[in-house]
Amino acid sequence: MAGLFKWRSRSAEPVETVEVSAPVPVEEPATASKVLPKLLAALGRQSHPFILDLGPVVGDNIAFFGEQLACKIRVEDLFEEIEQCARAGTPDALGQRLLARVPETPASVDAVLCWDVFDYLDRPTQQALARRLIHILRPAGVIYVFFGAKAGELTVYTRYIVAGPEALRTRSYPATPTQRQVLVPRDVERLFQGLKMTESVLLKSNTRETIFRKP
Amino acid sequence: MQARDNVNIGKSVVIKGELSGSEDLTIEGQVEGKIELRQNVLTIGTNGRIKAAIFAKIIVVQGEVHGDITASERVDIRDSGSVDGDVSAPRVSIADGAHFRGSIDMQRQGGTSAGAKPIDGKPAESRPVAARPASGPIPAPVPAASAR
Repeated sequence: MAGLFKWRSRSAEPVETVEVSAPVPVEEPATASKVLPKLLAALGRQSHPFILDLGPVVGDNIAFFGEQLACKIRVEDLFEEIEQCARAGTPDALGQRLLARVPETPASVDAVLCWDVFDYLDRPTQQALARRLIHILRPAGVIYVFFGAKAGELTVYTRYIVAGPEALRTRSYPATPTQRQVLVPRDVERLFQGLKMTESVLLKSNTRETIFRKP
Repeated sequence: MQARDNVNIGKSVVIKGELSGSEDLTIEGQVEGKIELRQNVLTIGTNGRIKAAIFAKIIVVQGEVHGDITASERVDIRDSGSVDGDVSAPRVSIADGAHFRGSIDMQRQGGTSAGAKPIDGKPAESRPVAARPASGPIPAPVPAASAR
């Protein structure tokens, strides 16, 4: 009864603006990674390695790589460009915008963390980006990348968070829908021609976790 | 315990030039130029707007910074913080929701890489994942079933 009176008195007050809360990210539990240790091992050989991270800045990853490897990390969030082009309906501009954010200096990077960026790109953009990454990679440098194996519409972006030397967890955020460009293993090898696929593991999430190494 | 001096630069203050000192400082106003507090803590408050190269012992960013940041101890970018520039410090923490564009250099003072296991070494996939800290040195392999 008291609650009813409370409700009545509240309804008599002027209507307040409704607060729209930000989309809640969905976090998955940590899963084991067979490929992440290879990445760490490859970088552990370098003194003060230079890592290019093509995903959004993730504080946990920065802290992890920094503490493990005492490295230099440059963050260039390509997903920001992907989302802006998807919202504006200008997919043709995406390739140029992505390449503008990737360094050009040849053999200057020890590792590239691509995450699943290739899933969101059309074939010509995938090829142009892969060429650039191979170009900037130092000999013995590595590319860490995820490829979705299931065709369909992508409605989220996935943040990969390093949860330990052999574990990753993911957090997904809403995205403007994009068609996933599925690459079969043969296409992947062609895309990164000149690099050696050191390890590739199909995860339960139907995503292939892969590491390439430049000879 | 001795109280630490702390100076506050208010919202309405605009400084153009070089700012240096030997006290902890909180900036809620605008600074353009250079900030140097080599032995102290610098906090850029939520209202702080900085266009400057910053040098301090500890730097906490809650507002906006355009410029390179160098800390001898650590940099802490909070969720309301925004940094466009390069960060150099032995420890860097970036909260979820913070904006960051640039590079982060976490080379240890006088040290080198932690030295993970070589890529062509013994496979590491059989190590369990649970009960392992998210940071710290990579532990030695232990014979165990795959956690996958």
